[in-house]
Amino acid sequence: MSNSTFIYVTYIKTTPERLWSALTSKDFTRQYWLGAYCESDWKPGSPWKLAFDDGRIADAGEIVEADPPRRLVIKWRNEWSPELKAEGYSLCTFEIEAVPGADAEAVKLSVLHNIDRPQSAFIQAVSGGWPRILSNLKSLLETGTVVLPKKA
Amino acid sequence: MSKPEFTYVTYIETTPEKLWQALTDGDFTERYWFAHRAASDWNVGSNYQFTLDGEKRLEGKVLISDPPRKLAYSWNGCSEEVRRERTSRVTFDLEPRGKVVKLTMTHDDLDEAGVTFRGIAEGWPMVLASLKSFLENGQILDIPRPVRAHEAVRA
Repeated sequence: MSNSTFIYVTYIKTTPERLWSALTSKDFTRQYWLGAYCESDWKPGSPWKLAFDDGRIADAGEIVEADPPRRLVIKWRNEWSPELKAEGYSLCTFEIEAVPGADAEAVKLSVLHNIDRPQSAFIQAVSGGWPRILSNLKSLLETGTVVLPKKA
Repeated sequence: MSKPEFTYVTYIETTPEKLWQALTDGDFTERYWFAHRAASDWNVGSNYQFTLDGEKRLEGKVLISDPPRKLAYSWNGCSEEVRRERTSRVTFDLEPRGKVVKLTMTHDDLDEAGVTFRGIAEGWPMVLASLKSFLENGQILDIPRPVRAHEAVRA
Protein backbone atom coordinates (compact mmCIF):
# COMPACT_ATOMS: atom_id res chain seq x y z
CA MET A 1 0.00 0.00 0.00
CA SER A 2 1.26 3.44 -0.86
CA ASN A 3 0.08 5.56 2.02
CA SER A 4 0.62 6.01 5.75
CA THR A 5 -2.21 6.49 8.21
CA PHE A 6 -2.63 7.13 11.91
CA ILE A 7 -6.02 6.69 13.52
CA TYR A 8 -6.97 7.58 17.09
CA VAL A 9 -10.39 7.33 18.66
CA THR A 10 -11.37 8.63 22.06
CA TYR A 11 -14.54 9.28 24.02
CA ILE A 12 -15.00 12.52 25.94
CA LYS A 13 -17.62 13.68 28.40
CA THR A 14 -18.69 16.84 26.56
CA THR A 15 -21.01 17.98 23.76
CA PRO A 16 -20.19 18.08 20.02
CA GLU A 17 -20.44 21.89 20.15
CA ARG A 18 -17.98 22.23 23.03
CA LEU A 19 -15.58 19.80 21.37
CA TRP A 20 -15.78 21.70 18.08
CA SER A 21 -15.01 24.90 19.91
CA ALA A 22 -12.11 23.21 21.74
CA LEU A 23 -10.61 22.17 18.39
CA THR A 24 -11.04 25.55 16.71
CA SER A 25 -10.64 28.26 19.37
CA LYS A 26 -7.11 29.65 19.32
CA ASP A 27 -7.11 30.41 23.04
CA PHE A 28 -8.50 27.02 23.91
CA THR A 29 -6.06 25.07 21.72
CA ARG A 30 -3.22 26.95 23.42
CA GLN A 31 -4.21 25.28 26.70
CA TYR A 32 -3.78 21.67 25.59
CA TRP A 33 -1.53 21.74 22.50
CA LEU A 34 1.71 21.39 24.51
CA GLY A 35 3.17 24.80 23.78
CA ALA A 36 1.46 25.58 20.48
CA TYR A 37 -1.89 26.82 19.19
CA CYS A 38 -4.07 26.47 16.08
CA GLU A 39 -5.35 29.43 14.11
CA SER A 40 -7.75 29.76 11.19
CA ASP A 41 -11.16 31.23 10.41
CA TRP A 42 -12.14 27.59 9.79
CA LYS A 43 -13.84 28.16 6.46
CA PRO A 44 -13.13 25.86 3.50
CA GLY A 45 -10.22 27.25 1.49
CA SER A 46 -8.94 29.42 4.33
CA PRO A 47 -5.37 29.16 5.58
CA TRP A 48 -4.70 27.17 8.74
CA LYS A 49 -1.64 27.17 10.95
CA LEU A 50 -0.24 25.49 14.02
CA ALA A 51 2.20 27.90 15.66
CA PHE A 52 4.46 27.62 18.68
CA ASP A 53 3.67 29.97 21.56
CA ASP A 54 6.49 32.30 20.42
CA GLY A 55 4.83 32.67 17.00
CA ARG A 56 7.09 30.40 14.92
CA ILE A 57 5.12 28.28 12.48
CA ALA A 58 5.18 24.56 13.22
CA ASP A 59 2.70 23.34 10.60
CA ALA A 60 0.52 25.04 8.01
CA GLY A 61 -2.04 24.33 5.33
CA GLU A 62 -5.68 25.04 4.61
CA ILE A 63 -9.17 24.04 5.60
CA VAL A 64 -10.61 21.50 3.17
CA GLU A 65 -13.95 20.83 4.86
CA ALA A 66 -15.66 22.37 7.86
CA ASP A 67 -19.05 21.11 8.96
CA PRO A 68 -19.48 22.25 12.58
CA PRO A 69 -19.85 20.44 14.91
CA ARG A 70 -19.38 17.21 12.98
CA ARG A 71 -16.47 17.10 10.58
CA LEU A 72 -13.28 19.04 9.93
CA VAL A 73 -10.65 18.25 7.27
CA ILE A 74 -7.31 20.07 7.18
CA LYS A 75 -4.64 19.96 4.47
CA TRP A 76 -1.58 19.90 6.66
CA ARG A 77 2.18 20.15 6.14
CA ASN A 78 5.03 20.38 8.59
CA GLU A 79 6.99 23.62 8.18
CA TRP A 80 9.87 23.47 10.67
CA SER A 81 11.60 20.19 9.82
CA PRO A 82 13.08 20.08 6.28
CA GLU A 83 12.77 16.30 6.26
CA LEU A 84 9.09 16.32 7.21
CA LYS A 85 8.25 19.31 5.02
CA ALA A 86 9.70 17.47 2.03
CA GLU A 87 7.02 14.80 2.45
CA GLY A 88 4.41 17.33 1.34
CA TYR A 89 0.81 17.67 2.42
CA SER A 90 -1.10 15.28 4.61
CA LEU A 91 -4.82 15.25 5.27
CA CYS A 92 -6.17 15.29 8.80
CA THR A 93 -9.83 14.46 9.37
CA PHE A 94 -11.68 15.01 12.64
CA GLU A 95 -15.06 13.37 13.10
CA ILE A 96 -17.27 14.21 16.06
CA GLU A 97 -20.27 12.06 16.93
CA ALA A 98 -22.59 12.20 19.90
CA VAL A 99 -22.67 8.66 21.27
CA PRO A 100 -26.13 7.26 20.55
CA GLY A 101 -27.97 5.92 23.55
CA ALA A 102 -25.82 7.71 26.12
CA ASP A 103 -27.94 9.19 28.93
CA ALA A 104 -25.54 12.01 29.61
CA GLU A 105 -23.06 13.81 27.39
CA ALA A 106 -20.56 11.60 25.63
CA VAL A 107 -18.85 12.32 22.34
CA LYS A 108 -16.77 10.06 20.13
CA LEU A 109 -13.83 11.84 18.52
CA SER A 110 -11.99 10.16 15.66
CA VAL A 111 -8.78 11.62 14.24
CA LEU A 112 -7.51 10.16 10.98
CA HIS A 113 -4.21 11.53 9.71
CA ASN A 114 -3.11 10.30 6.31
CA ILE A 115 -0.38 11.02 3.79
CA ASP A 116 -0.02 9.62 0.32
CA ARG A 117 3.38 7.98 0.73
CA PRO A 118 4.63 4.78 2.39
CA GLN A 119 6.56 4.72 5.69
CA SER A 120 6.08 8.42 6.29
CA ALA A 121 8.30 10.01 8.94
CA PHE A 122 5.64 12.70 9.32
CA ILE A 123 2.93 10.17 10.19
CA GLN A 124 5.42 8.49 12.52
CA ALA A 125 5.89 11.85 14.25
CA VAL A 126 2.18 12.64 14.62
CA SER A 127 1.57 9.08 15.90
CA GLY A 128 3.53 10.06 18.99
CA GLY A 129 1.94 13.49 19.28
CA TRP A 130 -1.77 12.78 18.89
CA PRO A 131 -2.12 10.52 21.95
CA ARG A 132 -0.53 13.27 24.10
CA ILE A 133 -2.62 16.07 22.68
CA LEU A 134 -5.88 14.15 22.74
CA SER A 135 -5.24 12.85 26.27
CA ASN A 136 -4.68 16.47 27.32
CA LEU A 137 -7.82 17.65 25.52
CA LYS A 138 -9.97 14.94 27.10
CA SER A 139 -8.72 15.82 30.59
CA LEU A 140 -9.18 19.56 29.99
CA LEU A 141 -12.78 19.13 28.88
CA GLU A 142 -13.65 16.68 31.66
CA THR A 143 -11.75 18.05 34.64
CA GLY A 144 -10.85 21.61 33.64
CA THR A 145 -7.11 20.97 33.78
CA VAL A 146 -4.56 19.47 31.43
CA VAL A 147 -2.35 16.57 32.52
CA LEU A 148 0.76 17.10 30.39
CA PRO A 149 3.12 20.06 30.73
CA LYS A 150 4.02 22.36 27.86
CA LYS A 151 7.23 21.40 26.15
CA ALA A 152 10.24 23.37 27.33
CA MET B 1 2.78 -11.41 6.56
CA SER B 2 2.85 -10.37 10.16
CA LYS B 3 -0.33 -10.77 12.18
CA PRO B 4 -2.30 -7.58 12.73
CA GLU B 5 -1.88 -5.76 15.98
CA PHE B 6 -3.64 -2.89 17.65
CA THR B 7 -1.81 -0.36 19.79
CA TYR B 8 -3.34 2.40 21.87
CA VAL B 9 -1.51 4.98 23.96
CA THR B 10 -3.08 7.21 26.57
CA TYR B 11 -1.75 9.48 29.31
CA ILE B 12 -3.54 9.33 32.65
CA GLU B 13 -3.11 11.51 35.70
CA THR B 14 -2.59 8.78 38.30
CA THR B 15 0.17 6.62 39.77
CA PRO B 16 1.45 3.34 38.30
CA GLU B 17 0.19 1.59 41.46
CA LYS B 18 -3.37 2.90 41.07
CA LEU B 19 -3.37 2.13 37.36
CA TRP B 20 -2.18 -1.42 38.06
CA GLN B 21 -4.98 -1.86 40.56
CA ALA B 22 -7.51 -0.50 38.07
CA LEU B 23 -6.37 -3.02 35.47
CA THR B 24 -6.40 -6.05 37.77
CA ASP B 25 -8.93 -5.57 40.59
CA GLY B 26 -12.44 -6.76 39.75
CA ASP B 27 -14.06 -4.07 41.93
CA PHE B 28 -12.35 -1.49 39.71
CA THR B 29 -12.76 -3.14 36.29
CA GLU B 30 -16.46 -3.56 37.00
CA ARG B 31 -16.75 0.24 37.25
CA TYR B 32 -15.16 1.32 33.97
CA TRP B 33 -14.97 -1.87 31.84
CA PHE B 34 -18.66 -1.99 31.05
CA ALA B 35 -19.48 -4.10 34.10
CA HIS B 36 -16.83 -6.74 33.37
CA ARG B 37 -15.27 -8.15 36.49
CA ALA B 38 -11.65 -9.35 36.43
CA ALA B 39 -10.54 -12.25 38.64
CA SER B 40 -7.06 -13.72 39.06
CA ASP B 41 -4.14 -13.76 41.47
CA TRP B 42 -2.19 -12.20 38.54
CA ASN B 43 0.82 -14.45 39.05
CA VAL B 44 2.61 -15.62 35.91
CA GLY B 45 1.04 -18.86 34.71
CA SER B 46 -2.20 -18.30 36.60
CA ASN B 47 -5.56 -18.22 34.87
CA TYR B 48 -7.62 -15.06 34.77
CA GLN B 49 -11.13 -14.36 33.61
CA PHE B 50 -13.52 -11.51 33.03
CA THR B 51 -17.16 -12.13 33.86
CA LEU B 52 -20.28 -10.15 33.03
CA ASP B 53 -23.27 -10.75 35.30
CA GLY B 54 -21.51 -13.90 36.52
CA GLU B 55 -21.04 -15.27 33.02
CA LYS B 56 -17.51 -15.85 31.74
CA ARG B 57 -16.74 -13.64 28.73
CA LEU B 58 -12.98 -13.64 28.45
CA GLU B 59 -10.24 -15.89 29.78
CA GLY B 60 -6.56 -16.70 29.46
CA LYS B 61 -3.28 -17.01 31.28
CA VAL B 62 -1.07 -14.39 32.85
CA LEU B 63 2.11 -14.19 30.75
CA ILE B 64 3.99 -11.31 32.38
CA SER B 65 3.27 -9.78 35.76
CA ASP B 66 5.69 -7.08 36.87
CA PRO B 67 3.67 -4.71 39.06
CA PRO B 68 3.32 -1.81 38.54
CA ARG B 69 5.17 -1.77 35.22
CA LYS B 70 4.11 -4.50 32.86
CA LEU B 71 1.22 -6.92 32.56
CA ALA B 72 0.57 -9.34 29.71
CA TYR B 73 -2.06 -12.03 29.29
CA SER B 74 -3.32 -14.36 26.62
CA TRP B 75 -6.81 -13.56 25.35
CA ASN B 76 -9.56 -16.04 24.52
CA GLY B 77 -13.05 -14.75 23.96
CA CYS B 78 -15.76 -17.06 25.24
CA SER B 79 -18.58 -16.20 22.85
CA GLU B 80 -19.62 -18.65 20.15
CA GLU B 81 -18.52 -16.42 17.28
CA VAL B 82 -14.90 -16.04 18.42
CA ARG B 83 -14.31 -19.40 20.09
CA ARG B 84 -12.43 -20.84 17.08
CA GLU B 85 -10.14 -17.85 16.60
CA ARG B 86 -6.51 -18.04 17.62
CA THR B 87 -5.45 -17.03 21.10
CA SER B 88 -4.25 -13.43 21.01
CA ARG B 89 -2.17 -11.47 23.49
CA VAL B 90 -2.61 -8.24 25.38
CA THR B 91 0.30 -6.29 26.90
CA PHE B 92 0.07 -3.22 29.11
CA ASP B 93 3.16 -1.06 29.66
CA LEU B 94 2.93 1.52 32.45
CA GLU B 95 5.55 4.27 32.41
CA PRO B 96 5.51 7.10 34.96
CA ARG B 97 6.06 10.51 33.34
CA GLY B 98 5.96 13.20 36.00
CA LYS B 99 2.42 13.42 37.34
CA VAL B 100 0.99 11.17 34.65
CA VAL B 101 1.40 7.57 33.57
CA LYS B 102 1.86 6.70 29.92
CA LEU B 103 -0.18 3.59 29.29
CA THR B 104 0.58 1.61 26.14
CA MET B 105 -1.78 -1.24 25.32
CA THR B 106 -0.73 -3.63 22.58
CA HIS B 107 -3.06 -6.38 21.39
CA ASP B 108 -1.29 -8.73 18.97
CA ASP B 109 -1.27 -12.28 17.60
CA LEU B 110 -4.72 -11.61 16.21
CA ASP B 111 -6.48 -13.45 13.40
CA GLU B 112 -6.25 -11.32 10.31
CA ALA B 113 -9.87 -11.51 9.22
CA GLY B 114 -11.25 -12.33 12.63
CA VAL B 115 -14.22 -10.93 14.49
CA THR B 116 -11.92 -10.36 17.47
CA PHE B 117 -9.68 -7.95 15.58
CA ARG B 118 -12.60 -5.82 14.44
CA GLY B 119 -14.15 -5.95 17.88
CA ILE B 120 -11.09 -4.97 19.88
CA ALA B 121 -10.25 -2.08 17.54
CA GLU B 122 -13.68 -0.64 18.44
CA GLY B 123 -13.59 -1.70 22.05
CA TRP B 124 -10.19 -0.65 23.37
CA PRO B 125 -10.68 3.10 22.78
CA MET B 126 -13.96 2.90 24.74
CA VAL B 127 -12.50 0.92 27.63
CA LEU B 128 -9.32 3.00 27.89
CA ALA B 129 -11.18 6.33 27.56
CA SER B 130 -13.50 5.13 30.32
CA LEU B 131 -10.50 4.05 32.44
CA LYS B 132 -8.88 7.48 32.06
CA SER B 133 -12.07 9.27 33.10
CA PHE B 134 -12.53 6.87 36.02
CA LEU B 135 -9.04 7.49 37.39
CA GLU B 136 -9.05 11.25 36.79
CA ASN B 137 -12.66 12.16 37.67
CA GLY B 138 -13.87 9.17 39.62
CA GLN B 139 -16.64 9.01 37.05
CA ILE B 140 -16.96 6.69 34.12
CA LEU B 141 -18.09 7.70 30.68
CA ASP B 142 -21.74 7.24 30.02
CA ILE B 143 -21.40 5.10 26.93
CA PRO B 144 -23.98 2.36 26.46
CA ARG B 145 -22.62 -1.15 26.39
CA PRO B 146 -22.18 -2.12 22.76
CA VAL B 147 -24.92 -4.40 21.54
CA ARG B 148 -22.72 -7.15 20.20
CA ALA B 149 -20.48 -9.01 22.58
CA HIS B 150 -17.24 -8.55 20.68
CA GLU B 151 -17.65 -4.81 20.32
CA ALA B 152 -16.80 -4.07 23.93
CA VAL B 153 -13.48 -5.86 24.03
CA ARG B 154 -15.16 -8.83 25.50
CA ALA B 155 -14.53 -10.83 22.34
